Amino acid sequence: MRTWLALLSVLISTPVLAECPLDLGHGTGIVVFSDLYMLALRPDPLRIEVGQPFALIMNVCTKGGDPAELVGVDATMPEHRHGMNYAPTLQANGEGRYRVEGMLFHMPGNWEIAFDVRSGGEIQRLTHDFVVK
Amino acid sequence: MRRLLLLVLSWAVAGSPAHAEASLDWTAEEVRAVAAHGPWPPAPVRDASNRVWGGTAAIVLGRHLFEEPRLSSSRRVACGDCHQAGRDWRDGRARGLGVVELDRRTPSLWNVGYQHWFGWDGASGSLWMQSLRPLLDPREMASSAPAVATLLREEAELACGYERAFGERPGADNEKVLVDAAKALAAFQQTLVTPRTPFDDFRDALVAGDRTAAPSYPAAAQRGLKLFVGRGNCATCHFGPLFTNGEFGDTGISFFVRPGEVDSGRHGGIARLKDSPFNRLGPHSDDGSGAAGTRTRHVEAQHRNFGEFRVPGLRQVGRTGPYMHDGSLATLGDVAKHYSTVSPDRLHSDGVPLVRPLGLTADESADLVAFLRTLDAEAPPLPPPPPLCP
Repeated sequence: MRTWLALLSVLISTPVLAECPLDLGHGTGIVVFSDLYMLALRPDPLRIEVGQPFALIMNVCTKGGDPAELVGVDATMPEHRHGMNYAPTLQANGEGRYRVEGMLFHMPGNWEIAFDVRSGGEIQRLTHDFVVK
Repeated sequence: MRRLLLLVLSWAVAGSPAHAEASLDWTAEEVRAVAAHGPWPPAPVRDASNRVWGGTAAIVLGRHLFEEPRLSSSRRVACGDCHQAGRDWRDGRARGLGVVELDRRTPSLWNVGYQHWFGWDGASGSLWMQSLRPLLDPREMASSAPAVATLLREEAELACGYERAFGERPGADNEKVLVDAAKALAAFQQTLVTPRTPFDDFRDALVAGDRTAAPSYPAAAQRGLKLFVGRGNCATCHFGPLFTNGEFGDTGISFFVRPGEVDSGRHGGIARLKDSPFNRLGPHSDDGSGAAGTRTRHVEAQHRNFGEFRVPGLRQVGRTGPYMHDGSLATLGDVAKHYSTVSPDRLHSDGVPLVRPLGLTADESADLVAFLRTLDAEAPPLPPPPPLCP
């Protein structure tokens, strides 16, 4: 019972869950944190296949729960130090919600996606690694 | 994962001693890598930009147009003269021959319907766009929209075939009729799918943990396959059931087509793609959703694209030499030697290079070639085309 009450208090005291939801549906969102920002992202389609285009559905927030601006997205293979052959485009849907089109991983292996985010001030880069096979 | 491990274990320990030599041990990682090269054949990939894709009448029209020399300005050159049915849909020459000798090899058309980019430089984003290129190229068929449209309007059989394929007689818009002819050509070419191969049987058996199929797959081919998915690093680019990731790479072949003149490869291909009114973003695409244009919309030329050429699929590779985009390597043995000794200085890379000298021994090269030859299969001859309008 005490655990439930503690969990409830956390939920009530965390406005980000209401203002900038990290659940993108299907219970599959990936959450990436920095000291200032939180990103939730979900590939569309869910499974990233080598050589097949995919999009990213994203919510971009400050740690305080306010919407933040997604400035750019890119991906590289750190081992080989090359990027994608495609330039993704960002579609802003308001309130920190974005759809990133034109992603394509053309080789199997480790890919690092970089997200450039800001909220009025300097741009901060957050990254997340994907392994595609 | 557990199931995969069990399959691998059962593969390694089951079976009779007589099969031991023919059945190498395969790690779970190797099985996963081999599994990615199948199953074969994959489901057809519908081209939403071509409204007659898969249409029987369009396929028949395309087949007739493919062998139609009157599509060329000289009325003597057909698509099928370079992409010969009896030669695995290529000409066997190091460099193609149109009105003049070309700078690149004529690629085979096997499995072309599964591709996303066409031509060695990917200057075409659809098969119908690619089919227009040799028709209009002054070095090849040297035709024009008015010439092609006039032929389809005035030749009764072709006009009838067009009407069956497209539901209307060829109209007065020359460019539209030209593009429709290319769409029928594409509909035919999309039917050119290679048969299953000895590799496919082995791959399926390996994935299923079925040892009974192993002895029919040569040990040398198994060793070559291990090199292909392992130390050789071949499967990074020659990925998936088609044995290509569908993209482009620099393999250390010379850029020069003749002294002082270079082939810019993918770099120039992207520029031509973006400039063409026939790309998937243009008015001739039949895709109302725009989804079919995703690759064309987002592809971006980068400096490293200079000298990159399309990664070819490897099915029927033993039957479709010579090799590389310029036909400069005559045999699969030459290809193995090239990747064994390619100069790292020629291949600029800031990170771990994708192509690096493999230093294969003679036995390893022979194993790699033995594996590649298991990607070949004898295709049944194509029956004569049905009449356009019986």
